[in-house]
Amino acid sequence: MELKAVLELINAKQFNQECPRCVREINYAFVCDLMSDALMLLKKMPSHIGAHGALVTGLVTNQALRTAEILDLETIIFVRGKTPSQSVIELADEIGITLIGTALTMYRTSGLLFMNNVKSYESVLEEN
Amino acid sequence: MESYSREFKIQKNDIGNAGTVASLTKRELKKRGLTRDFVKTVTIGIYEAEINVVIHSYGGNCVVKIDDDIVDVVFQDIGPGIECIDSALTPGFSTASHYAIENGFGAGMGLPNIQSVSDEMKLTSSKEGTRLHMKFNIDGDCYES
Ligand SMILES: Nc1ncnc2c1ncn2[C@@H]1O[C@H](COP(=O)(O)OP(=O)(O)OP(=O)(O)O)[C@@H](O)[C@H]1O
Ligand SMILES: [Mg+2]
Repeated sequence: MELKAVLELINAKQFNQECPRCVREINYAFVCDLMSDALMLLKKMPSHIGAHGALVTGLVTNQALRTAEILDLETIIFVRGKTPSQSVIELADEIGITLIGTALTMYRTSGLLFMNNVKSYESVLEEN
Repeated sequence: MESYSREFKIQKNDIGNAGTVASLTKRELKKRGLTRDFVKTVTIGIYEAEINVVIHSYGGNCVVKIDDDIVDVVFQDIGPGIECIDSALTPGFSTASHYAIENGFGAGMGLPNIQSVSDEMKLTSSKEGTRLHMKFNIDGDCYES
């Protein structure tokens, strides 16, 4: 799904407009609020998935960015209207992660993405 | 390639900077032509250990050494130590503070995760400090073809 369409679908805004390596498409999404859980689950995922994968989280911290960085996920979707600080946005620019945010809840955000064929971790397993 | 060795200081509760060791090591490993999957494996181990020193200890340091055939990483902190190593290694066991949980930690998955990504892990602990030594073997498959 094109990034532009995702922004519309979940009524989201992009925080780092100038991100030099901004993604154009989001085809996979993974929800996490506990970083080690995400790292444990997603570590076996083929790295090429990440370029089109988003981490959906309520955690607007550097650590959400670090987790995405380690997993090669290039987009983070912040839910429940949380806004990252300037230093978080700067770190995102530095490591090349696109940050977007929506006021919707985690459940609704995920539901909308799922209904629009953004795939889950289970689909990654089935495909590979 | 030339051997790489770097030491990092890690401050107690400095959660904003946690992940720096993992991130800089990731860059170095990529520069050396290692595959994304291998790089991910190593950085997960380093990141989990780095976070543990930040959120559970009084601070410490880390030495990362990279050679053509091995990545060798040691984290050493200055206490208060792990009371029971067996419990600490059990998936889901955590004594994480409210502060750590608010920052996305405390699943009790860090040490099990380190065990599963590393080729060798040695964890020793006393009141004076905890030492975590992990090794990642590099073979031909770990380099980009
Ligand atoms: N360096 C350390 N110093 C003191 N205690 C530690 C240290 N590392 C780990 N522990 C203890 O071991 C427990 C388990 O660690 P582990 O990394 O598996 O989980 P966690 O850090 O609590 O949560 P998570 O890693 O999932 O965010 C911790 O809750 C803590 O009690
Ligand atoms: Mg931990």
